[in-house]
Amino acid sequence: MTTLRNVAIVGFAQLPTVARDLHRTSTEMLYPVVRQALAECGVERDAIDYQIAGSVDYMDGRPFGFVAALDAMGSWPPRQDLHLEMDAAFCAYYAWLRMQAGDCDTALVVGHGKTSEGDPNRVFNLQLDPYYQAVIGLDPTSTAALQASAYMARTGATDRDLAVVAARNRTAGARNPQNQVREAVNTEDLLRTPWAVEPLRAGYLPPIGESATCMILAAQGKAEKLCDHPIWIHGVDHRAELQTLGARDLSRSASARLAGEKACAMAGLRNASDVDVAELHAVTPVEELILCEALGLSPKGSRPAINPSGGTLCGNPIMSTGLIRMGEVFRQLSGRADGGAGARRGLAHAAQGHCLQQNIVWILGSERRWA
Amino acid sequence: MKRPVAVVGVGQTHHTSRRSDVNIAGLVREAVDRALADAGLEYKDIEAVIVGKAPDMLEGVMQPEQFLIGALGAHMKPMLRVHTAGSVGASTALTGVTHVASGLYDRVLTIAFEKQSEGNVMWVTSPNMPFTAPLVAGAGGYFAPYCRAYIKRTGCPPHIGPITAVNARANAGRNEYAHLREPVTLEDVMNSPVLWDPIRYLETCPSSDGAIALVIASEEQAKRGPRKPAWVKSGYSYAEAMWVPGRDQVSPLAGRVCAKAVYGKAGITNPWKEIHTAEIYVPFAWFEAMWLENLGFCDEGEGWKIIDRGEQKFGAHLPINPSGGVLCTNPIGASGMLRLGEAALQVMGRAGAHQVEGAKTALGHAYGGGAQYFAMWIVSSEL
Amino acid sequence: MTEPPKEPIKYFGTTVCLPYYYVAGDYKARYLRALKDKKILGSKCSKTGKVLVPPLVNSPESFAPATEFVEVADRGVITTFCIVNIPVIGRNLEIPYVAASVALDGADLSIFALIHECKLEEVRMGMRVEAVWKPDGEREGSYEDILYFRPTGEPDAPQESYIHRL
Repeated sequence: MTTLRNVAIVGFAQLPTVARDLHRTSTEMLYPVVRQALAECGVERDAIDYQIAGSVDYMDGRPFGFVAALDAMGSWPPRQDLHLEMDAAFCAYYAWLRMQAGDCDTALVVGHGKTSEGDPNRVFNLQLDPYYQAVIGLDPTSTAALQASAYMARTGATDRDLAVVAARNRTAGARNPQNQVREAVNTEDLLRTPWAVEPLRAGYLPPIGESATCMILAAQGKAEKLCDHPIWIHGVDHRAELQTLGARDLSRSASARLAGEKACAMAGLRNASDVDVAELHAVTPVEELILCEALGLSPKGSRPAINPSGGTLCGNPIMSTGLIRMGEVFRQLSGRADGGAGARRGLAHAAQGHCLQQNIVWILGSERRWA
Repeated sequence: MKRPVAVVGVGQTHHTSRRSDVNIAGLVREAVDRALADAGLEYKDIEAVIVGKAPDMLEGVMQPEQFLIGALGAHMKPMLRVHTAGSVGASTALTGVTHVASGLYDRVLTIAFEKQSEGNVMWVTSPNMPFTAPLVAGAGGYFAPYCRAYIKRTGCPPHIGPITAVNARANAGRNEYAHLREPVTLEDVMNSPVLWDPIRYLETCPSSDGAIALVIASEEQAKRGPRKPAWVKSGYSYAEAMWVPGRDQVSPLAGRVCAKAVYGKAGITNPWKEIHTAEIYVPFAWFEAMWLENLGFCDEGEGWKIIDRGEQKFGAHLPINPSGGVLCTNPIGASGMLRLGEAALQVMGRAGAHQVEGAKTALGHAYGGGAQYFAMWIVSSEL
Repeated sequence: MTEPPKEPIKYFGTTVCLPYYYVAGDYKARYLRALKDKKILGSKCSKTGKVLVPPLVNSPESFAPATEFVEVADRGVITTFCIVNIPVIGRNLEIPYVAASVALDGADLSIFALIHECKLEEVRMGMRVEAVWKPDGEREGSYEDILYFRPTGEPDAPQESYIHRL
């Protein structure tokens, strides 16, 4: 494996995820988190070389919705900039790549969007191909349910197995002030929640919520000046699969598996399970189980600790959810989170598209990867 | 850029108002097939795919790159989707450049497209922003006031826009891929209806369906051939905030800063002398004069004089938009990559009938948003 | 449909209908409510003192918060404009109409506004204009409370005062 440039997460700020922020627009929510992340690093906006944002027009309910974010990110004087129509975790990837190319040393990565303004179940129907899949009215809960059925049929997993995963996330989530859902709930109570789309119960799905996030990345040489305890990127890879639901084995995530393998290889890690903590962008318990299988993690969730933040179930601010998984690992490894003492390596995962169609896996650590 | 990067293949569709013979996947596939054939490569040789397009409302499909994975040969590969408004095609190409420059990828595919006949362009470009009076009618409705301000600031005479349009069509006549290729006369343009005063119908870009793909590769791959590559000497994308008091929307600072960066990195100190041809993003004729100044080809206020003297015509000192440019072809998401791709074709010596003789150094430029996003590159026939 | 179509299907139409419930945000809400009282508000940059209309949470120029609200005049100068001749789906503005960038007295940003009560050819950069409000009792605290701007008849503003304030 070639020697790459050591790049670290040096700052992360988010608004606590809420059902609907009645006081601020999407970009007005972004301004305070950008200020906060910069303040944490003790610098002004001018100190950051590059900026990149993640958001989606259809979630914003307006074309060119991301343009307004420029004003909230400190884009004056003009900045080197990019916007991806993707979760901000993929923006972090591109910022990391730019650093590998030597084109910047520091980067501001943001995610924004107000999930509450639209109806995600209707909006995300449009994410499917317009000829065969969108037209039959599939919404993301239904496609997730299709995946759940396929997984349960293959593995024999039961409704109770899903409830156990959800209960674990809810218990952990109760300790995290950033979450929208902060009450623990036990397996039995979850099993009593009504079906959303069978075999997924309402209790297995996150509520609609929104946030704004900002992460600062910095290369070796700069990172140490911005943060006492930078968390270094050891490996990263992302892959996308065919969308067509019938064209892939929905009970597995081949792209998550491959991304995990490649990320571990870059990190010099034999098994993903060698990390201490893993944050998975799993919108349903089935996604979490599929990801565990793909990445080789024990679904019990204790070694490594899976979703100590409470995971996506406790807060799913779409477009930021993936970046928050990275941010939570950053918190865990740098001692900023409740618990997690002694954690030295972590895995952060983010996903996009129906049924884990596109996945990115990060391996992060307290020490630098390359000499 | 840590290591040299080159464009080794270009493929585009024949742009037209409505491609009724293919669906969205068919449209992009056509461009990708051509780019791969051009590069002498197969789908399996591509290590990452970067897709760029403008607002998804134009086709009514959210993040269409997701259903296009198969058509793009991107199954189990890294894929990113860029969206920077009108400049997106260009910033997508630059994203591809970074992939290769990083050392982590040797061959990437960048694709930019729009099948906007399937939606309603006027509706999408006249967004009813919440809690705001809906006055802006189309992109032209947004930019026309700034064209007027340019005319007032510089004393630019009324025939400059029309001359630009006439010249663009003449150029497009030499480009088999262009959408509008019939010549127009000065009288035609001046008699065409005024859409948003001062912009006339024939000074306005068309609405096109189209796609373009580039294969961007490492030095080692580029030297394998089969064609002479276009070396990317520099590439930058900048953006500026909208609501800055006194922001100059006639000659935006982000454009000037981006141009300076792109010239500096490429070692260009006198663009007017050292650049042989430029593909610049001119959706409304008056922008050609404005961009000539913003890009530093002349002093402020002098841009229209270059056009008046005919120095930007095909065969003259600095041919601008030899492909016909955005004025003759505008699939919104693709246009930025068309500019950068056409610049590459020029230095590769592959622009066919619209080849600028002896073009060794070319500029590709695009802009988007409220004249906020700028993305450009300098390509050369020499490493 | 019981029989397959005679011709291969080339197109099918889909109407995309998505409801959105937007949040105005406290700043915009305050601005709109003030319109009911014929007041136009801006927010002041805490660093430079520049007045941003409509009010913004932060000045994008200084990146500092803009927390103080101030009132600006309901009259100002046309910095630039265009005459629109194209209809847009879903809008019922009578064409042609003049859409102008208006720099209100006291504001450091311009707003986009309709111009009426003058001939199209008379509209010019530098022209002084004033807001025409919906009558008392009809204003609701929405952007429609300002019907349009019309010339005041004052002498034009000198070019230097607006040419860089687009």
